[in-house]
Amino acid sequence: MTEIQLIREACEGDSRAIRKLYDRYAPRVYAVVRRIAGDDDLAQDYAQEAWIRAIRALPNFRGDARFSTWLHRIAVNSALQAIRKTETRRKRESPMPEQLAAVSGSSDALLQRKLQRALDTLPEGMRRVLILHDVEGYTHDDIGDALGVTSGTSKSQLFKARAKMRSILASVGSDTKETGAEAWSI
Amino acid sequence: MEHLSTEALARLVDNAPEPSESEHLAECMVCASGLQALRLQTEQLGSLPEILPPLGDWEVLEARLRSDGLVRDRGVLQRVGLARTPGWMKVAASAVLFLTGIGVGSVVGFSTPGQEGSPRLPDIAFASAETVEDAATAVRIAEQNYVNALTRYSQLMDRDAPGSSQADQSGRMAALEYLFAATQAAVRQAPADQFLNGLLAATRAEREATLSRISTRQDNWF
Repeated sequence: MTEIQLIREACEGDSRAIRKLYDRYAPRVYAVVRRIAGDDDLAQDYAQEAWIRAIRALPNFRGDARFSTWLHRIAVNSALQAIRKTETRRKRESPMPEQLAAVSGSSDALLQRKLQRALDTLPEGMRRVLILHDVEGYTHDDIGDALGVTSGTSKSQLFKARAKMRSILASVGSDTKETGAEAWSI
Repeated sequence: MEHLSTEALARLVDNAPEPSESEHLAECMVCASGLQALRLQTEQLGSLPEILPPLGDWEVLEARLRSDGLVRDRGVLQRVGLARTPGWMKVAASAVLFLTGIGVGSVVGFSTPGQEGSPRLPDIAFASAETVEDAATAVRIAEQNYVNALTRYSQLMDRDAPGSSQADQSGRMAALEYLFAATQAAVRQAPADQFLNGLLAATRAEREATLSRISTRQDNWF
């Protein structure tokens, strides 16, 4: 069955078609929301929300862009919106923690684990820009639209984020060298 | 010598350096290697792999989709490949199936001994179906009637067949057991599916009838 057929079937609520789309794209959707969220539990909620939104919006998918691109945008927007809601709630309830707790690595590759951990410890604003630009390949204009900032702000945040990331990787590398643990520097 | 800041080096990953920056990078190994490390870091970030969602994620999602009414089980039209056909074709197909059900029902007879010649009509008559959904319901009923009729036909044929042996009946029983288990599993997957429920009821009835015949023969033998 072609992707267009699958989408058409999924549009009509066919669970098997939705499952096939899920199987095909869930790792990509989960990866982007996981990186934006910086936390596994939040990531699962965000990914679920992204899928619900996507399935609900399927009748509006006109095929101008590739389905994967369209779905990816929904996932990013959904995660960003969910984070904004969470931030607002946190601000109301208690002071916001500076960083999200680092999660245990799930990848076998040491380098990927190092990068993921470093990403998770970046301040949220920087992490979002860095992920959208360097991981997901968004332009600064796209990032500006998604985050509601100017493209200049996006650039400036990106350079700070790269520098901070470099510094995190370097510092963890020097700490672990002292203790004889795994090397962190790239 | 004053080094370039890390932020300035981070900018040079995407942008061309100013002449002064170029000169500095040509002379300063610290900044040149810093820039190289940032380029590598950016490249590695761009090739981070996809991440599998946690186990059970689909089941949770499916439950949410169902509760939001975004998923429905495949109906008879989807199963027989009519879901994408034009409305008039669905109606025509419904008519054919419905009339087949009625026809077979009339020939074989659904009636109990006291109701000879009066086949039971479905609750939703095709003639009154005004929507495709109504027509689909009529099709499901017709299908169920068809299965019932076929079962009855099979029962009559079997009852009248002089040569049906005990071994035949045992083999048939084994096949029916298998069919019953498969249909039961299908009904568990789609409890509201009328066709599957009808098939399950028909299979159960046939299994019991066969079982009864086998035990009667055994009783008679003894």
